[in-house]
Amino acid sequence: MTLKPPHPGSLVAIAILALVAGGFIALATVGGGTPSLLSIGPYLWRVLAFSLIQATLSAALSLALGIGLALALARRRFPGRDVVLAILGSTMVMPTIVAVFAVFAVYGRSGWLADVLAVLGWTGGFSIFGYPGILIAHVFLNGPFVARITLDGLNQVPAEHWRLAAALGFTPVQIFRHLDWPVLRGELPGVAGLIFLMCFKSFAIVLALGGGPSRSTLEVAIFEALKIDLDFGRVAWLALIQLALCLSMTALLHWAFTRPPVGHTIRSLVHRPDAKNRGLKILDAMVLVVSALFIAPLAFSVLTGFRSLPAVIDADLLRAFVTSLAIAGAAAILACGLALALASAARRRRIVLRSPRLAALYDLLPDALLAVPPFALTAGLFLLIRRFGDPSTAGFVLLPLINGLAAVPFAYRYVAPRLLTTEERYGRVAASLGITGWSKLAIMDWPELKRPLAAGFALAMALSFGDFGIVALFGGTELVTLPYLLYERLGAYRMDEASSVGLVIVFVAVILAHASGRLSDARD
Amino acid sequence: MLRRLLLTLVSLGLATGLAQAQTKPTLTVYTYGSFAGKYGPGKTVKERFEATCGCDLNWVTAEDAGSLLGRLRLEGEDTKADAVVGLDMNLVAEARSLNLFAPHGVDEKDLTLPITWTDSTFIPFDWGYYAFVYDASKLAHPPKSLRELVDDPNGPKVVLQDPRTSAPGLGLLLWMQKVYGDKAGEAWGRLQPRIVTFTKGWSEAYGLFLKGEADMVMSYTTSPAYHVVAEKKDNYRAAAFSEGHYLHVELAGMTRTSKQPDLAKKFMAFILSEPFQSAMPEGNWMMPAKTPAAGLPAAFKDLVQPSRALLFTPEEVQQNRRAFTDAWLNATAR
Repeated sequence: MTLKPPHPGSLVAIAILALVAGGFIALATVGGGTPSLLSIGPYLWRVLAFSLIQATLSAALSLALGIGLALALARRRFPGRDVVLAILGSTMVMPTIVAVFAVFAVYGRSGWLADVLAVLGWTGGFSIFGYPGILIAHVFLNGPFVARITLDGLNQVPAEHWRLAAALGFTPVQIFRHLDWPVLRGELPGVAGLIFLMCFKSFAIVLALGGGPSRSTLEVAIFEALKIDLDFGRVAWLALIQLALCLSMTALLHWAFTRPPVGHTIRSLVHRPDAKNRGLKILDAMVLVVSALFIAPLAFSVLTGFRSLPAVIDADLLRAFVTSLAIAGAAAILACGLALALASAARRRRIVLRSPRLAALYDLLPDALLAVPPFALTAGLFLLIRRFGDPSTAGFVLLPLINGLAAVPFAYRYVAPRLLTTEERYGRVAASLGITGWSKLAIMDWPELKRPLAAGFALAMALSFGDFGIVALFGGTELVTLPYLLYERLGAYRMDEASSVGLVIVFVAVILAHASGRLSDARD
Repeated sequence: MLRRLLLTLVSLGLATGLAQAQTKPTLTVYTYGSFAGKYGPGKTVKERFEATCGCDLNWVTAEDAGSLLGRLRLEGEDTKADAVVGLDMNLVAEARSLNLFAPHGVDEKDLTLPITWTDSTFIPFDWGYYAFVYDASKLAHPPKSLRELVDDPNGPKVVLQDPRTSAPGLGLLLWMQKVYGDKAGEAWGRLQPRIVTFTKGWSEAYGLFLKGEADMVMSYTTSPAYHVVAEKKDNYRAAAFSEGHYLHVELAGMTRTSKQPDLAKKFMAFILSEPFQSAMPEGNWMMPAKTPAAGLPAAFKDLVQPSRALLFTPEEVQQNRRAFTDAWLNATAR
């Protein structure tokens, strides 16, 4: 019995756990104090209840919009479809403040909708504050992402299935049940978990559109403890509550939807037999029109940033652009590397070692990274690394690190299902030929992985590109990113310039999303 | 492709690492983002101070005063900050308890603050009153007092900031407390129907106001000066309230861990000197702590002059903030 070195994925998992746990411990014990475990008052209970309901509703609506849209897009071809896909892939990475202003530009008291209604002669005011505003913003940010990732999944159905379905004369209902639904069932828990977590943590959006402090999230309490009370023990404690809650929710999702086994070959068919069905044509047209009416105005409102574009294009902007790109690149490399390691460890557990329960733990780990409040994680990690170096350069390490960790769940969504698929298809062949380790990765997995990895990489990059979160603490004149620039202009009354910087960020996100789309169309 | 990307990243890293060797001493000053930004006074201050000190002034920024303090708390005695510019009255107690600041030794005579200032650790560098800003072309008769704003059920709609996440938000919380005392909770309840929302920070609230989502926004008496000077618009005004306005004083201090205590002291003295103070009004859109000999820019002369400055001491804020916030939550979180 020789000792085998541990799988790199296991090492990564341990490293991530150690990093998060170490951060928590550093936070809780800073200043030599023991953490004060405070009781959760009635207010926090209300906030938790609201967050749960709000995030569940947001996730459900985002999924409904996303799945409907994905099915419609899978069945239809039309000019400009590529552009639509790129826009779908980029809404989620909008800086939150850009999204908030977009919602007001369309649905606000003086927004476009109010103008249209006034022209139609309806002057009864309406207010979107509260659930409507929050749901509009969250569904706008996340629904298109669901559509995008589901569409990628639907393209995975093997050609034989389609031929068989056509030969047997499947009705649209049967097609959905036997071909589309298995794909959705495989993708749903992961995607739903992601969206739920994003909405549960959503902070600036909930405050701005919520209309009052009853519509708040736990992150507000964490923010307050960190920046005003300077009570880091409380930060750690609240962060733990959030982590526990979010993880139970995602675990529940994973448990409720088990993944079906996959087919054996892959060549996607361009034509779906149900594309000819008249009822579906009407349905798809309706879905596409409603989605367009919902997504387009919000997306186009960002274009108002064009007005001040000449005023913001200067050396500062270029430097911030390069800085953002470098950080986003580093974060994306980290995210993809970690996701790949974790996914391959999960696969080994699930298929080779036949312990799906352990594998499920690996699946949960990326979500745990998303559930940890970024402020708390940043503060904790800073306390950890401050002993090893100059605190003024901490930002250079922390920004790519935190952004990379936050993007792992997204990269994982792209990589993990595909890795499982290749194992189910070619694993036995590889095993019988004695192909293992790196050569297995190079020969068996890489051809299949290229596309999802590229897509995951582009998304991770875009996510990091639009993230302001922790630049708030560790930006600086030497570390100016585009979102930082956006907030700096806002703070100096320059709202128009801020919207131009927002436009630049969104534009880059669209380019990245388009690139990832093109990469995932480039079939071997 | 990947290889090229890696090369780019590595060379970028090298380029930033190869900053030329410093011969002059460097003074590191922490401040908030918009102070050191393109339109802030940071660049001017840096040039003017470097002209006299034979050193390099290096700004390091965090998003706002709260982030500055959070960062100092995290860095503790390892902080690289020699001085900090941008704390405010309501954070001073917490800042003091960090035990990171040293006596500044600057003479605080002849300050042009509405209050007398004596503090051996922090010096004020600019100030302003909180005020509700409105668009005179849309709101002809703004309320004349805080009580009128609160009590008139058909009054203007306001957009405010969350007191837990932003300085002006906390400012209004304290203002209400000053005017209503124990009855502040009920007052919040009466204002509640006309509060559009509480945003995370000043920027979101001001942006919503400019987009027409509310009739008034919680901001500063100096905000209209920006619109006059930078946009040539005079329709934005601050409403004068008869009870007086809550005062916002921005503060600077030097750290006791500084490797350059003499240089830091020099900088603290520079803060109250003309070259620094004259950069405040149109750089930071606040009133200078010591009015320059040339006086104020024209746009600042016809701003609202409150009859009374309302203010809690930093210690009072520290002791009561939680109770005030809870009362506000109970009244508004329904």
